[in-house]
Amino acid sequence: MPENNVLLSVKDLHTWYELRKFGFIRVGYVRALDGVSFDLRYGEALTIVGESGSGKTTLLKTILGLVPPTKGVLEFAGKKVDASNLLWLRRQVGYVQQDPYGALPPFMNVRRILLEPMVINKVGRPAEREARIREVLEEVRLVPVDDFLPKFPHMLSGGQQQRLVIARALVLNPKLIVADEPVSMLDASVRVEILDLMRRVQKAHNLGVIYITHDLSTVRYFSERVFIMYAAKVVEKADVRGIVHNPLHPYARALLSAIPDPDHENAHRFKDVPPGEPPSLVKPPEGCRFHPRCTQKILGLCDREVPPEFEPSPNHFVSCWLYR
Amino acid sequence: MAERSISAKETVRDQPNASQFLLNVSNLRLYFKTTKGVVQAVDNVSFSLGRRRSLAVLGESGCGKTSLARAILRLLPRNIHTFSGEIVLDGVDLMKLDEERFRREIRWRKLSFVPQAAMNALNPVLRVGYQVAEPLIVHFGLDRDEAFKRAEEVARVVGLPVDFLNRYAFELSGGMRQRAIIAMALITRPELIILDEPTSALDVLTQANIMNSLKKIKQEFDVTYILITHDIATSSELADEVLVMYAGQLVEHSPAARFYKTPAHPYAQKLMASVPTLREDKTLEFIPGQPPSLINPPKGCRFAQRCPYRFERCAEDPPAFSLDGGGVARCWLLAR
Repeated sequence: MPENNVLLSVKDLHTWYELRKFGFIRVGYVRALDGVSFDLRYGEALTIVGESGSGKTTLLKTILGLVPPTKGVLEFAGKKVDASNLLWLRRQVGYVQQDPYGALPPFMNVRRILLEPMVINKVGRPAEREARIREVLEEVRLVPVDDFLPKFPHMLSGGQQQRLVIARALVLNPKLIVADEPVSMLDASVRVEILDLMRRVQKAHNLGVIYITHDLSTVRYFSERVFIMYAAKVVEKADVRGIVHNPLHPYARALLSAIPDPDHENAHRFKDVPPGEPPSLVKPPEGCRFHPRCTQKILGLCDREVPPEFEPSPNHFVSCWLYR
Repeated sequence: MAERSISAKETVRDQPNASQFLLNVSNLRLYFKTTKGVVQAVDNVSFSLGRRRSLAVLGESGCGKTSLARAILRLLPRNIHTFSGEIVLDGVDLMKLDEERFRREIRWRKLSFVPQAAMNALNPVLRVGYQVAEPLIVHFGLDRDEAFKRAEEVARVVGLPVDFLNRYAFELSGGMRQRAIIAMALITRPELIILDEPTSALDVLTQANIMNSLKKIKQEFDVTYILITHDIATSSELADEVLVMYAGQLVEHSPAARFYKTPAHPYAQKLMASVPTLREDKTLEFIPGQPPSLINPPKGCRFAQRCPYRFERCAEDPPAFSLDGGGVARCWLLAR
């Protein structure tokens, strides 16, 4: 473990997708990720909140090495990640997908699904593999293990499928788990169970976790640090309390006020939400990307200059000119 | 249609009495035949809904909430085993109408539907405006120009920019497509609109915007909503009344003001306790176990196996007990 305790370091990461016409004429780029930097320590849980198209899934795919970054550096456990050590990286990163049923091969039973990562990565001897399968199944509480081993994904409920996906992510003893909306497809009563499980696993193994979601209300039950993304950039970084009780960026404020808590009074109130839609990432607006929808914009500044990161209170970073 | 809305405005806005109920559903059963047996998707559901009230139907996936909507709309698949009970809409017994009369007299005219993920079902080769206006042309025989004029009015109400009506579905964002679908459901001025998960696939801000529009529509037009959703927090934005379903049965039907504070049925309590809240610190709970299979469901209370308050009487089927301050819940704990 390097002395600075950083598991994953992302520096000025850009991922642009090329847009082509007729398959070969380059007509531009979709700037899905445009300059994101952060450090994740060992055993730290980080939540990234953003709407669809804000680049959160691209960030995750770049971290997993599924898409090569256009620019920027990705360091994992002190080593720079490039094409030569992708296999090494993927052995240490577990991936929990959004749709458990879609993520599990329907023709493999539970034993085979959990064996597969070990076979591919040539880990362990058969007896060790079997023991490891039982261990992870117990850890995610798919017990009694013997009942579950021969089952196929369609025989499991949604919650059990998601447990199996988590077990598969854990089977190689990763250092980092990335979870892409792990509970958005599940019912309310099961959601909490899965979040609890992930939290317990994280603490037990001192795992780094990157949890991606659009649902801010689950965040406080899961992580300490929250990033808010808008149009391919991180606009605010803070701890959960800071985001929930004192959001600074106008977008973060709008996002928070848009989330209802179950309360009858909601039916008599209109929400104060900014009109419009997130901008196109092919030609993002000049300056701050939120300025076309922002009610507090400073003309001549917000529409010209890209806001740098300010730190109005300790460890609460925001990219907005209001805090210069 | 204009006449209807004028006469409807004269009725009282408060809790309606029996004669003012727009919709009366009693002993509704909808069973499906499958290769594994008969699935009791909706089992003996009864409720009434007053005019200009909005009802949120809550429940987890597979609890029969969409089947309930489909039964009211009579949009049914072929493998029906049983379809019985009474559905009275505005004094007309829908079960007595044949398919042709139902299609001509009820659908669109009195009742319209926003299905789940409907925004992805817009026809890609027709302009959005035509699709919004189509029910008027087809069902009411209006000519194109008049229908398009009405489409523009409705588009304004739902917050769809009028020039978007000349575009195709792929040129619109998800939120705008959903608005187009709502405009379509609204254009014939039906009395009852059934919304099946209208915002579930949308982003938080878009969702809040659409909820604002739905509230505005409710104030401006005389519509009654049935909102089917699994998202309890969002349901509170629109609901006057809440109906909770579990394993094909109604377990609680309460006024929203009471329900979101103190739900009566143990399942509803557990469900509320599992909803994460943003602003308030609480320990979240989950419900261990799974809902029973709807093929040969257990006798008695269907929630009994997962219920922390289970006792001997739960082996019998609980009737609907009325609650203080209105509403009913089916649980033996309420027997006095």
